[in-house]
Amino acid sequence: MESRAGNFSERSTKKEAIEFLDSIDQTKESAFWPNVKPKLFYDNLALNLENPMSFYPGRSTNFCAYGALSYLVMEKDPLGYVKFMNDLYDKGEATFNNNHFKPSRAVMNAAGTLQFKGVLDIRHAEQMWFLVLADKFKGYLNFFNKKYQEGNENTFWAATNLSKFDRMVNKMCGVHVEAVGSDLIKPWVKDPYTYLQKRIDSNIVSLYINNRIIHKKNHDKIKFSIPTHFIILRQISKENNLITLRYWDYGGETQMQISAGTLKKIIFGIITIDK
Amino acid sequence: MIRHLLIPLIIYSLLSSCSTKIISTNYYQEKKETVDSIESRYEKLNARKPFAIAFTDKKLTIISIEMISDTLTRIYEFEVNEKRLIDSLVKYSYDTSGINYLIRKMQETKVTWINSVDYYVNDRPQQLIYLSIKPVTIRYLFSPPKYIALGYFRTAQSFDEKGRLLDSRRTKKVRKIKGQVFYKITDRICYTVTDKYR
Repeated sequence: MESRAGNFSERSTKKEAIEFLDSIDQTKESAFWPNVKPKLFYDNLALNLENPMSFYPGRSTNFCAYGALSYLVMEKDPLGYVKFMNDLYDKGEATFNNNHFKPSRAVMNAAGTLQFKGVLDIRHAEQMWFLVLADKFKGYLNFFNKKYQEGNENTFWAATNLSKFDRMVNKMCGVHVEAVGSDLIKPWVKDPYTYLQKRIDSNIVSLYINNRIIHKKNHDKIKFSIPTHFIILRQISKENNLITLRYWDYGGETQMQISAGTLKKIIFGIITIDK
Repeated sequence: MIRHLLIPLIIYSLLSSCSTKIISTNYYQEKKETVDSIESRYEKLNARKPFAIAFTDKKLTIISIEMISDTLTRIYEFEVNEKRLIDSLVKYSYDTSGINYLIRKMQETKVTWINSVDYYVNDRPQQLIYLSIKPVTIRYLFSPPKYIALGYFRTAQSFDEKGRLLDSRRTKKVRKIKGQVFYKITDRICYTVTDKYR
């Protein structure tokens, strides 16, 4: 139920990343990514640097875990991210923090074609980024669907379980990861509010939650209790037994008020990551 | 061989006969005026200050309202008659009476969810209003709930000969919204039947 990894320190700054981006030719077409438009690709990289919180995993996709990972990558190594994306665009393969990525032809053809996903439609760098991450990292949820086919961004091909998320964070950022909880059983934490509050100031905290409880999709009372979503917790406070959560997920912050009971009910995993 | 075929056929027929049935097959036409007025009222209110509304209980007395700004989405759950709802709308400068009226109309017409969905055509932003209605249904044990979802586009859309919504006039690719195929009602309004209201 608990996993640990090594330590990490910040690798690069936003300023270095912007200087690198300004120094490269942003009009060149890629021989490897036939549907990625240069302007949409480089504009997207500039936006990622300007506003790292703008990463948008897309409507109805299973990219939320990669969205949370993007948040961490941009906190730690913005220059590494931009160089990696530029190499991937130019050479069709690239390395990030000793992880080599050589995406499949199907993924290369799909990037730039995802539609009806909200603003992700015109964010060609993010489409590439999410697709190559899903193509590279596999967990047991991906066992029966490992090769990308059109529309698989919405299916188990892109899904992420808790240990896969921990592994991705560790490999991509090299950070110290401590996780409690699992994919089916909630963490043995008596008071999640106090647990989270103790960690949030000195760490980055990600939560693996059952989003269907707070974001209901039908009126059935009996629901499967399984986690469905990864978020980055930004703030947590309590007043009159009502807990206010402020978290990052789809390209921005969300604030909601829930009871202590609901907080306990929704959390399946708490991932504490060193700042 | 026949026995091998019969077993799956019996299971299939049992499952399909036990799926939820919507009583009226013509729900939109019956409620057309009210549903269209809810959509146009929402469109105006949402253009001033974005928001989305869902009814989260079967009796449609509890709403979840998403108040959306550039930097933050606030999600609150209230009972429809709760004073905190009005207080929050006032606090965040929403058109209180307009939204209150919309909520009543949604309740009366059993509209369980309304929001604005952004998408892009030729890299330009477009918008569609998505709303779901909870129709009267016959439900069997373990059968999923059913909702009628309506999509209101701002411009005329393309459909194939089966009435399915297409990506564009040039392609024959069926466009799915939230994983669902939508069917033509008019050239800019389409519908689907779905297990989820949002």
